[in-house]
Amino acid sequence: MALKGLDIFKLSPKKNCKECGSPTCMAFSMKVAQGAVELSKCPYFAPEALAKLSAATEPPMKTIKVGAGDAEMSLGGETVLFRHEKTFVSKTRYAMALCTCMDDATVEQKLADIAKVDYERIGERMFVEMVYVNDAPDGAQDYVELVKKAAATGRVLVLGVKDAEKAKAALEVCKDGKPILNGADAANYEAMNAVATAAGVVLGVSGADLAEIHDTVEKLEALGNKNLVIDVTGETVKDTFKNAVQLRKAALKDGDRTCGYPSIVNVAKVARGDAHKQAALLSLFTMKYGSIVVAENIGYAEALPLYGLRQNLFTDPQKPMKVEPGIYPLNGADENSVCLTTVDFALTYFLVSGELERSGVPVNLIINDAGGLSVLTSWAAGKFSSGTIAKFFEEQDIAGKIKSRKLIIPGKVAVLKGELEAKLPDWEIIIAPNEAVQLVKFMKDFA
Amino acid sequence: MAKFVTIGERLSTTAPAVNKAFTTRDPEPILKRAKQQLDAGAVYLDVNIGPAESDGEELMKWAVQLLQSELDNVPLALDTSNKKAIEAGISVYNRSKGKPIVNSADAAGRIENIDLAAANDAIVIALCNGEGIAKDNDERMGYCQLLLERGLEHGMEAEDLWFDPLFLVVKGMQDKQMDILECIKMFSDMGLNSTGGLSNNSNGMPKHIRPIMDSALVAMAMMQGLTSAIVNPNDLRLMETIKSCDVFKNNTLYADSYLEI
Amino acid sequence: MPFTPKSGKFNASINTVEIGTGDKAVKIGGENVFPLYSFDAPIENAPKVGIEITDFGMEHELECIKKYYEGCTTLAEIAAKAASMEGVDFLSFRMEGGDPNGANKSTEELIGELKEIAAAVDLPLVVCGCKNAEKDAELFNAAAAALEGKNAVILSAKEENYKTVGAAAGLAYKQVVGAESAVDINLAKQLNVLLSQLGVDKKSIVMNVGTAAAGYGFEYVISTMDRVKAAALQQGDVNLQMPIITPVASETWGVKEAMSSEADSPEWGSQEERGIDMEIETAMAVIAAGSNAVILKHPESIKTISGLMKELV
Repeated sequence: MALKGLDIFKLSPKKNCKECGSPTCMAFSMKVAQGAVELSKCPYFAPEALAKLSAATEPPMKTIKVGAGDAEMSLGGETVLFRHEKTFVSKTRYAMALCTCMDDATVEQKLADIAKVDYERIGERMFVEMVYVNDAPDGAQDYVELVKKAAATGRVLVLGVKDAEKAKAALEVCKDGKPILNGADAANYEAMNAVATAAGVVLGVSGADLAEIHDTVEKLEALGNKNLVIDVTGETVKDTFKNAVQLRKAALKDGDRTCGYPSIVNVAKVARGDAHKQAALLSLFTMKYGSIVVAENIGYAEALPLYGLRQNLFTDPQKPMKVEPGIYPLNGADENSVCLTTVDFALTYFLVSGELERSGVPVNLIINDAGGLSVLTSWAAGKFSSGTIAKFFEEQDIAGKIKSRKLIIPGKVAVLKGELEAKLPDWEIIIAPNEAVQLVKFMKDFA
Repeated sequence: MAKFVTIGERLSTTAPAVNKAFTTRDPEPILKRAKQQLDAGAVYLDVNIGPAESDGEELMKWAVQLLQSELDNVPLALDTSNKKAIEAGISVYNRSKGKPIVNSADAAGRIENIDLAAANDAIVIALCNGEGIAKDNDERMGYCQLLLERGLEHGMEAEDLWFDPLFLVVKGMQDKQMDILECIKMFSDMGLNSTGGLSNNSNGMPKHIRPIMDSALVAMAMMQGLTSAIVNPNDLRLMETIKSCDVFKNNTLYADSYLEI
Repeated sequence: MPFTPKSGKFNASINTVEIGTGDKAVKIGGENVFPLYSFDAPIENAPKVGIEITDFGMEHELECIKKYYEGCTTLAEIAAKAASMEGVDFLSFRMEGGDPNGANKSTEELIGELKEIAAAVDLPLVVCGCKNAEKDAELFNAAAAALEGKNAVILSAKEENYKTVGAAAGLAYKQVVGAESAVDINLAKQLNVLLSQLGVDKKSIVMNVGTAAAGYGFEYVISTMDRVKAAALQQGDVNLQMPIITPVASETWGVKEAMSSEADSPEWGSQEERGIDMEIETAMAVIAAGSNAVILKHPESIKTISGLMKELV
């Protein structure tokens, strides 16, 4: 975070001695803020002031890495509270919960369920990336055995365990996968810190409220551990939301570095047994500042909207979302089905493919490489013209792959009809309506 | 960023009609001028009662209460060299629409107005001059530092000190204009608020020229980071320029009717 | 240093708009904090949840919706049943059949149905159109007259028809006027300015700033709402301080994830669950971004969101 001259001035000696070469301390502070002069030019800055200033130039929220190899992922590192201010950088990760309180059958079922959701959406693999292994005080399962089973899923583990000895034993069997040891609190932080540090894993900190957590994090930082995440889960949904928002706000807006760590939100805990409420909370904490969100179950019903939401939310506002150019057969289309072409802007693709699917008419949707821009924008930029379409048809050998010679083009670029007929002489060019919503009727009439 | 704050300058004892109304405590001309300025888009109104050495306290109270009671607690800048009158004005001031502004302090004889603003949780316009106009920006920033320190010592938030670089008249001081604009940039880089009597630049110019010069200067000054100005809100060109600059600076959201609101 | 959270309370606030009359009237808006941030300052009116029915009754609904309305034969019965579902704050009637490119039902027929519904329930009413701006102007004109004295929401006036709709709903019959824009924040503001210039009281305007199902360009929805709230609260922009009401069901039940049958997508599992979760997760996200009310369809979604709002605020 850039420091304003005023922040530096407030800590300056205010002597106006001119030894730094500037006429006043204020002028000097300003030059330091601009990066024109080193702070060390001033011999009179108090050591505490220097420490404060160097801390203030650190990033407001740390980037914490968990998982190993292909499964490695980054948490945190955010710099803004709203995506339009810049962009969010580390997407929310989802975990399913296992617990020593479950019976054998449930454990087996959960392990199978974890693997169920696995699909691709606009170039991104969507799956349950983490498993939370909870140690319940009166759980019947052996914790280390349960951790072993969880580790076998290949997902990154979060160990929810408060007992340092158990944690140590569990880490013996899974530390290579770089899990998170979510077990430190005000009472046990020293012991847990030793275990986490020895195993080289990230330590999770929890507490009765943010004040207590803040206190514990400060103590851990004093012990030299800044490889932390913060479990913001409270007693109620309301407390949990408050903690998640206040933590992120304090870090990014108010510059409290002790709050600058990724968060864990355990909705399995605050909405136990209520799948729909957990679905709502998965959505809420994706929007508002959960780095890891833990739920009892993430099946397709929960996942389809959730991963779509996440993909949208974590899109860089500067970069349009693109789908892979190519042929997308819809409604059981084959080589004899009519073709419809449009651009690779993800939103256009979703709107158009959605309406085409609703029409029920078999159609080959041909997505052009148009730089991820919308129809009119790409047309204006020369990325969706008769020339680029004809070239794309040639490169992809569309005529070789499809026998139909009917091509529907977006109504908004009806002007291309004549040129396309010249460049693709075998094809009959048909103009679609202007808006995607009109496609259902158009396709039904057409078929 | 917050929207640019315009301070309407037309309630001044230097205008004969206003002077007469202040003297005779005649509400009507005062309210009429005040309303005109607000309708034209002024945020704050400056109330300049002059030195008012004999009846300043009573007059300022009267003016504050009159304006705020009739015009929905309009926020005001209290403009007089009579400190007691400013304090009296603040004592009856309603803050629901914004803190009062003390107009003004400087780095010489009027530095105590900073203390006054601090004691009353008010904003203060801090003129960056000592005895006479500063010769260069080193001197201006020296005053700026002095005034800022004084405010911070007395417990003010830096944002409540609005620094005035003192705009200079083009006719006669054309070569100093860029200094003023650079000074505004320095305030802005420091994270400080700023204001000033912008129309001073066009003093002595033909009447039809002044809005053009004032508009050009306000656009350049806003680019440099000026956060407020003391202006004639009835100058339509100037107000339209300010609204347009607020759009460019993302201080306000554009809508096709932005000039009408 | 101990943890000291700074308050995120603003000097400006979202307008409070009351809809409906009598005991069942509800208030939306009024907060001076970001959405759901009740820890910064109390939020008097938790986001509200409406239930949507259309003039087609159960004709076009999925089995998983129909089962809740078993035995209902008339629109009045459907409306009464809808109003009795747990967590419902208001009833939304969508005159879908008015679309000249669809069923093209006459204005008389639709307004007749609207009157039946209005007589059958005492909840606040929201009236939605058929998405054809010209026909909507006609429908809303008549609807505003038919519901005189009910303080209903006419959802909504658009750039193309705001004069007619604003004059009828806002001026002549004193209903609450919805101002609709499609994820275009400058237009959202402009419509509010235009409606105010027409003479509609700013406190009688609500906004529909556009929506999408989660995953379908939803980032535009999030940023539009984030920016509306930032302008309203941080910049104190009085032309964006209107509460937001978002029809969610009409978007979420039309996407593949909710529409695809179990036969077509066996790996996806229960279609009903997919539809509910799409509705719940989208609703929760638009509320987190700033919607003061949402319109949903499945009783289970309504129960969940409504219950959660009471817990959160």
